[in-house]
Amino acid sequence: MSARPITTIKTVVAGIEAAGTGIKVFTLADPDRWDLPPFKPGAHIDLHLPNGLVRTYSLCNEPADNTRYVIAVKREADGRGGSRALHDEVGIGDVIGVSLPRGGLEPGADIARHVFVAGGIGVTPFLSMARHLLRIGNADFVLHLIVREEVPLAAHLAPLIEAGRVVVHRTSRAGRPDLASLVGEVGVQTMVACCGPEGMTDEFEGMTAAWPAANVHIERFVAPPPMIDPDAKPFVLSLARTGTEIQVRAGQTMLAALHEGGIDIPTSCCGGICGACKVGWIEGKPVHRDRVLSPYERERFLMVCVAGSNADRLVLDL
Amino acid sequence: MLDEIDAGSADSTARLGWSGLVRFLHLAPRAFLPMRAMEQLVLVAGQGIEGDRYMIGREEGFYSHKPEEGRQVTLFELETLVALKRDAGIELGPEEHRRNVTVEGVPLNHLVGRRFWLGETLLEATRLSIPCRHIEEITGKAIFDPLINRSGLNCRILQGGIVRVGDTVRNAA
Ligand code: FES
Repeated sequence: MSARPITTIKTVVAGIEAAGTGIKVFTLADPDRWDLPPFKPGAHIDLHLPNGLVRTYSLCNEPADNTRYVIAVKREADGRGGSRALHDEVGIGDVIGVSLPRGGLEPGADIARHVFVAGGIGVTPFLSMARHLLRIGNADFVLHLIVREEVPLAAHLAPLIEAGRVVVHRTSRAGRPDLASLVGEVGVQTMVACCGPEGMTDEFEGMTAAWPAANVHIERFVAPPPMIDPDAKPFVLSLARTGTEIQVRAGQTMLAALHEGGIDIPTSCCGGICGACKVGWIEGKPVHRDRVLSPYERERFLMVCVAGSNADRLVLDL
Repeated sequence: MLDEIDAGSADSTARLGWSGLVRFLHLAPRAFLPMRAMEQLVLVAGQGIEGDRYMIGREEGFYSHKPEEGRQVTLFELETLVALKRDAGIELGPEEHRRNVTVEGVPLNHLVGRRFWLGETLLEATRLSIPCRHIEEITGKAIFDPLINRSGLNCRILQGGIVRVGDTVRNAA
């Protein structure tokens, strides 16, 4: 029995394959090869690495291939350490916890044509999408892959390049292609998407600024901050019995912040109805969002799974 | 006031009689994994379902850090799925509610504290299940609120055996 709730999907590293200079493809699977939670083409997952880092990678396999999560990782020697840990420390059979897949592209029913622009290793989400579109028999798509010289994931891309689905642009030979001419005309039935280094996604964003938002998708290497309630503010939890202070980020639940701070609070529903996570409060302005406490109880207690704070500091009886 | 009401009325389900059916069976070996439809489940008395995440000793479920003797098998009403569609316009499949057994014609909320037969196995209902926010994350559907008070039943297995789709569910009064 673990003392903490299980918050990640348990996977094992079922395959590691070299896929170009400094790139490895990792295949993650359930220990019993059970189906994994479903995902959209080009979705991403967080990997909880053995060294404690959490890193996000796009899936490059397609949704129908549902017993594996396949990611491609480029070793960044000066990165923050996630890719180095994967390249240098992780081996076949290692256990890695991953999040539920998020994001991805939904091939809309009214979209007839897809144009993808990828820079280098930014090709991964579109590899997933291209495989998906081929599988469902959607013929009209093209992926422009901009690389300096070497094509990443060459073995995976070869059949698509041969079929004319992937067009490789080598900047070492021809200079940087003009994104606008690659993308072509605006059309309500066209979906354009870009994933690559910041300079490229910024240029793409500027170029498609006048397009309807529904027809443009941009995927950045550095994940954008999660969508949070614009009115949400960070605050500090002060634990009266231990004197500990815990920061609650804007939009984060008190419960998540307490867990991060190593404090276990019993929970069950995590939605403010069961009463399991009741905690006393001493000072501050709690915002109650539960459906279990009476007005009288709210004067002394709150439910940490849903409550917020209207002041910078909230003192809890913990 | 409730104390004064004739206890017999609390037994009305038994007196009125009901009999239901096992419509779907599902299990998953670990938290978050999709539930898989099965033709039969093996229930082990006092333990759980063979291969399921909450089987005692396996403990790979989302709630395994809070072991609960009365959560060896969980049931859900097919009628709730129908009601979700009808009243909230939400299509939820029997593989999505994450309980093991989907029954039809069984008044689950009336059975807390009672014993009943699920096919050849004998169960004792320990408490109502409560919905969990985590299911909205897994299914991507806003079902937390509509499932309050009809999120199924947690049971302990008194007598084990094999449960098959189509088996009868009946009171063990
Ligand atoms: S966990 Fe149920 S009310 Fe907070």
